[in-house]
Amino acid sequence: MSKTLGLYISVPFCRAKCTYCNFASGVFPASEHGRYVTRVCEAIRGARARAEREGWCLPGRVGSIYLGGGTPSTLEAERLREIFGAIEESFAVERDAEITVECAPGQIAADFLKAMVEVHATRVSLGVQSMVDAEAAATGRMHTRAVVEEDVRWLREAGLAVNVDLIAGLPGQTMTSWMESVEAVCGLGVEHASLYMLEVDEDSRLGRELIGGGARYGAGLVATDDAVAAMYEAGCARLEQAGLRQYEISNFARPGAESRHNLRYWRREPYLGVGLDAHSMLRNREGRPVRFGNTDELSEYLAGTAEGSAEVVDRAAELEEAWFLGLRLADGVSLTAMRAEFGDAVARFDGVVTKLVDDGLLRREGDRVALTMRGRMLSNEVFAEFIGIPVFGVIAKDESSDLPLLTR
Amino acid sequence: MDTRHIRNFAIIAHIDHGKSTLSDRLLELTGSVSAREMQAQVLDAMDLERERGITIKAHAVRMLYKAKDGELYQLNLIDTPGHVDFSYEVSRSLASCEGALLVVDATQGVEAQTLANAYLAISNGLDMIPVINKIDLPSADVVRTQEMIENAVGIDATDAIPVSAKTGENVEAILEAIVHRLPPPTGDPDAPLQALIFDSWFDAYRGVIVLTRVMQGTLRRGARIRLMSNGRVFDVESMGVLTPKPVEVSELAAGEVGFFVATIKNVGDTKIGDTITEDGRPAPAALPGFEDIKSMVFAGLYTVDSHEHTLLREALEKLRLNDSSFSMEPESSAALGFGFRCGFLGLLHMEIIQERLEREFDLDLITTAPGVRYKIRLTDGSEIEVDNPSRWPNPSEIEEVEEPVIRATILTNEEYVGGILKLVEEKRGRQQNFEYVTPTRVMLTYELPLNEIVLDFYDRLKSVSRGYASLDYSLSGTWSSPMVKLDILVSGEPVDALSIIVHRDFAYERGKALVSKMRELIPRQQFEVAIQAAIGSKIVARETVAALRKNVLAKCYGGDISRKRKLLEKQKEGKKRMKRIGKVDIPQEAFLAVLKVGEDAGK
Repeated sequence: MSKTLGLYISVPFCRAKCTYCNFASGVFPASEHGRYVTRVCEAIRGARARAEREGWCLPGRVGSIYLGGGTPSTLEAERLREIFGAIEESFAVERDAEITVECAPGQIAADFLKAMVEVHATRVSLGVQSMVDAEAAATGRMHTRAVVEEDVRWLREAGLAVNVDLIAGLPGQTMTSWMESVEAVCGLGVEHASLYMLEVDEDSRLGRELIGGGARYGAGLVATDDAVAAMYEAGCARLEQAGLRQYEISNFARPGAESRHNLRYWRREPYLGVGLDAHSMLRNREGRPVRFGNTDELSEYLAGTAEGSAEVVDRAAELEEAWFLGLRLADGVSLTAMRAEFGDAVARFDGVVTKLVDDGLLRREGDRVALTMRGRMLSNEVFAEFIGIPVFGVIAKDESSDLPLLTR
Repeated sequence: MDTRHIRNFAIIAHIDHGKSTLSDRLLELTGSVSAREMQAQVLDAMDLERERGITIKAHAVRMLYKAKDGELYQLNLIDTPGHVDFSYEVSRSLASCEGALLVVDATQGVEAQTLANAYLAISNGLDMIPVINKIDLPSADVVRTQEMIENAVGIDATDAIPVSAKTGENVEAILEAIVHRLPPPTGDPDAPLQALIFDSWFDAYRGVIVLTRVMQGTLRRGARIRLMSNGRVFDVESMGVLTPKPVEVSELAAGEVGFFVATIKNVGDTKIGDTITEDGRPAPAALPGFEDIKSMVFAGLYTVDSHEHTLLREALEKLRLNDSSFSMEPESSAALGFGFRCGFLGLLHMEIIQERLEREFDLDLITTAPGVRYKIRLTDGSEIEVDNPSRWPNPSEIEEVEEPVIRATILTNEEYVGGILKLVEEKRGRQQNFEYVTPTRVMLTYELPLNEIVLDFYDRLKSVSRGYASLDYSLSGTWSSPMVKLDILVSGEPVDALSIIVHRDFAYERGKALVSKMRELIPRQQFEVAIQAAIGSKIVARETVAALRKNVLAKCYGGDISRKRKLLEKQKEGKKRMKRIGKVDIPQEAFLAVLKVGEDAGK
């Protein structure tokens, strides 16, 4: 178990809201930035007291920091320094900590870059989504391919590692235009890339339009599920070829450049989320994971009235999580490690694993179980199989057999 | 009471023509129920009846009415079920009466159901009082309605009573007409007992309650009675009349109507239409008209969760305590597990039972496509009856199949005749009669295979006539027809619960429609799923559900694992509600695809 903490800071501000976006983010006046950052700093400073009050273990050393959004680069440089000031005050940030800041291409002010370097940021994640200018523009992105190339150049000159996000399935996108984006990303020479697929849900404008069968935001031009799947697979193959290894369902990196912060989520290492709609996982004194999240209403968050309730993950649920989070990683899960953590209960999943191996969705190599390529594309189907299997109930019954017969 | 002061009557009306409202007014006017007690429509007791506006069980209410001649009369209103599925019960209720009110909506005119029941009443020798209801509506046309009653029903309607049951206008005239225009019952209270059972049900507190009309003799509390159809003997423990509240009496004499409770444990012993007599002094003969009820429509009932099979058994057994007119026998399906093959009086009856199982017993059901019972002569000369496609013999062993045929009466407006003729021809109907009952109203009489009716006929008829057609039918015989079993195969495995029996000439088309509907209903799965329709080993149609290409959550959601878990749980829950056959998850709706095919055709 890692002794360090991951810190996630949510910055829900954007210059414009993209049509596909389903996060709790939006366009707010700069006056809100100040109030918001003040509130975030309070939360950082108050974290230890809250953890003590609630009985959670909050590591004092920070191994990774991630500023996500939203678009953290919309903040004034001074606000960034304020946030890091609060962090330094309350935690010991490891010398080699990974510090990522999400930025919108073409929107990184010179003094913001300077501030990033000052606070020892190590990575920048660029929300590129498409390298085809017309596609990017259609979804509300405000950059061009040339801008991205320029940004990557000077970020790297400033010593920062770069991640680029791409989305497959944007309106108007075809296999050809998608591969043009992927090719362009390969040409950037970045250390890290994330490939996503358009998510259709009620939380984005484009999603609502697609569900409702409308045509706004280019909904009529979104490729079919099958076409998007084909794009994704082709994209993954091309990145691998370019030396970016797919270490997680949607993440690719040069060896050693994997996002340590995001790995925490899949490895169930502790992280504290601060800010709007930020989520946390800590452990309580009994070692049980505790999950809690913040409100996704800005006014509520600023008022500080709604403190999300914490949920203790029981042993059975934790074991399920270990499967469905661990399997996201290319290396999958180690059965030995699972048994060391959960004991014999792991054997209850033998049937599921065997069946999924037979179906070609999982592969078993020695001690490790991992998704196949097809399994990655159908990972929700795979993960659902690991949910709701009676695990510890059965064991509890076995234990009860130690009781004298007369009492039964 | 002297039989001269008794009147037993029924109300014949089409759904929505105002029977329940009129009954309520009569109860109010006679002071049987005060306006305060009047919960809208007292007689329709079951929730389902109230919702659907259809009477399912018979009722009998005694009212006391002081007529204008100064005399006090006992009026027994015997309510009848209002649907073709229950025509036998209707005929027995009518047999308990001397007269009937024929209620017709002044804006709608005579409907097929009214007509059928009116004929039934006339053939039972009942005197009829035509009542023209809803005269408060602006579109009411009393004169035309009168004409229509005369032309369609063939009775004199000059004395028809125009009323508004809703406002109460002229309803009192009905009470006077009942007293003066309907005959009193005849019968000798001292003769050997003959009493007709016209309904019975199980009451959790009192056991089996029997509604009866005493035709001859007197039924007394404490009497030892014998049911003439099965010879069983019971002791009458208590008896009474419904006013509509139950009131105890010590006897019911010839001409009277009431209920009794005896030492009867099983509602199946008290068959509607049976004759009750005294064990010590039996009547020489039973009353005419008794029939053993036969199921017309059959379907398999299964629970979605096969572990709930025993719950289904218990629920069906409980329902049978109340309604012995449906049959059940255990069956098992490779696809659906253990279930019951149930026989029903008709489609509505089937729906009612299904709804009660789901509502009162909280069960999630899968019902297989409804079918009928065929008589099959085998090549070895023997004869079998088959109502379950899984028992259908090998085609090479079949010499001849006889299918049940009904005689259907359809009443509609002229403009819809074209569409209806097309429909009945498509359903293999043979025309018996085509008649204008008024210059714009047409009465069609057709012979149709029952098999075609149970699939989707009602919905199609409703759709082609925009609701302006009414249907009544009765079993009229059988046809020899080339029927075949159509199987549905999912990924090469026959799904027994999806097999249907169809006419050979329709098998190809039905198979094609069915697999294409199934393709819509079966969600994409990990593997490609082939859906085939086959007759014997011959594939007649095929569709493919392509393999699911992606179902993946790419984003991190900033570590919001609960959101991911919820999504996975939702997905798992959705799968649980499907039936897994081999490796394929089939949703409940797919098992009713046979019915859905028809819906589309009707559009």
